[in-house]
Amino acid sequence: MTSFIDYLIGGVSNGAVIALMAIALVLIWRATRVVNFAQVGQAMFTTFVALTVQTLTGSWALALVVAMVAGAILGVIVQFLVLRPMRRADTSGAIIATFGVLIALQAAVGMIWGGDAQAYPQPFDNAGVVAFGRIWPISVYDFVVIGVTILLVIALSLLFTRTSIGLAMRASAFNPEVARLSGVRVSRVLTFGWALAGVVGAVAGVLVAPSSTVSPTTFDILLVFAFTAAVIGGLDSLVGAVALGVFAGLVISLVSGLSNSGNAPVVALVLLALSLITKPDGVFGHHKARAV
Amino acid sequence: MLSITDLTVSYGPVEALNGVTISVPRGEVTAVIGANGAGKSTLMRTLAGLVTPAAGQATLDGEIITRKRPEDIVRMGVALVPEGRSTIPELTVEENLRLGGLWRQKSDRRTTQAEVFDLFPVLAERQRMRADTLSGGERQQLAIGRALMSNPKCLLLDEPSLGLAPLIVTQILHLVRRLADETRIAVLLVEQNAVTALRMADTGVVLNLGRIVQTGPAPAIASDEKLRHAYLGY
Ligand SMILES: Nc1ncnc2c1ncn2[C@@H]1O[C@H](COP(=O)(O)OP(=O)(O)O)[C@@H](O)[C@H]1O
Ligand SMILES: [Mg+2]
Repeated sequence: MTSFIDYLIGGVSNGAVIALMAIALVLIWRATRVVNFAQVGQAMFTTFVALTVQTLTGSWALALVVAMVAGAILGVIVQFLVLRPMRRADTSGAIIATFGVLIALQAAVGMIWGGDAQAYPQPFDNAGVVAFGRIWPISVYDFVVIGVTILLVIALSLLFTRTSIGLAMRASAFNPEVARLSGVRVSRVLTFGWALAGVVGAVAGVLVAPSSTVSPTTFDILLVFAFTAAVIGGLDSLVGAVALGVFAGLVISLVSGLSNSGNAPVVALVLLALSLITKPDGVFGHHKARAV
Repeated sequence: MLSITDLTVSYGPVEALNGVTISVPRGEVTAVIGANGAGKSTLMRTLAGLVTPAAGQATLDGEIITRKRPEDIVRMGVALVPEGRSTIPELTVEENLRLGGLWRQKSDRRTTQAEVFDLFPVLAERQRMRADTLSGGERQQLAIGRALMSNPKCLLLDEPSLGLAPLIVTQILHLVRRLADETRIAVLLVEQNAVTALRMADTGVVLNLGRIVQTGPAPAIASDEKLRHAYLGY
């Protein structure tokens, strides 16, 4: 029983990172009806940028901020690469293009930083916290990850509900024609959405990096989990992405702990298949009326 | 004043509008009537910038609005309430209204919102509710309210009566009349429902297969039996 609870606790910070990556996917899906498979490639690229900054300056926070800025810029570039040539094609063409961008980003990272896995320095204490006479399977760094995720989710929900750009983003996603007729510059708003998703993905990359290693393909598995969480959550729903992202983290931790970690992706895919069969619009999705 | 001159629009080989010329003075309601497929929506969508005309132009107080982007045209003072449900159901009533004037100064937006609430008190009551909880008539008021939030000089209404009960239709068209009288907005109203539309319009324009067949004072159009039989089908 203790180990069961320990596995759950240990899965929360991993779940937080999956949730962030799922949010990035949902942000772009809602705005452009494109599943951006390049998102993990972008996150990996910006994490290498962060690693470079961290190595040069020794500052974890500065590396995080630089990665976020790089994430925004890269998001805009990827949107341009993926959507411009696809203007007249349907979005399935654009989705295939995101795979192309993913492969290109992995190749670019290999050329710039090399193909080998590199360690990302641990910025905070990574040992289990000691409290109530025992060691818990959660570290100070896990708390940082969870805290940053919570802050980011709060910031995003404030952005969407309290600001003009947030309202413009929601309106552009729900009904671009009415948004344009209302004076919203929809194409700019969509670009902002790609930049924002890039920022969120960049944060996810930097947060997860110390717990794994960074190489051109390390984050691919994160895509599997984030995509699963986003789809089960309803693809349109930020709440769904967060909830299912954290849930996925817990399931992975349990499966890895109770059996072995190689089984986690299989379990994710089984969950994905089950969800698509039983609830095609997702647990938090609505077919017609989309959730915020 | 909105002046439409020789407007011609084609969808590929289909000519939807052919040499349409209409003047819509401020403070007046001009009703364009015609059967389904006459080109009414095409006219409205072209004026709002959603469709690019093949020939001709439209000006608002002398400024050319055709071939500009919808988001710029609304800023110039021409607001369209498109056909069908043009509110965003997932947003609240207040958010739908705010959207209509998002690009404006906050203080200007507040002033206009108060005016919209004066005109449509039910929207003030339902501010925090999602638009999909409103009745059809309330939603149409919200759609008009959203367009008014841009503080337009010219309002384009595409079949506001579609799918509404007759009593509600009369109520909404009366509000449109009041709007033109009180705010001096130029209103271009498109309707299949000719009787009600002509009753409160100043000028009537009969459109058939993309061409104007008659323009004149609304009462004269309404009482013209030949027109009625030939183009309006009653
Ligand atoms: N997007 C479009 N593509 C092709 N043809 C269209 C399109 N929209 C309308 N049409 C055609 O143009 C004509 C006028 O349509 P419309 O302007 O919607 O008429 P109305 O609003 O008076 O019913 C019709 O023959 C219609 O089939
Ligand atoms: Mg029509």
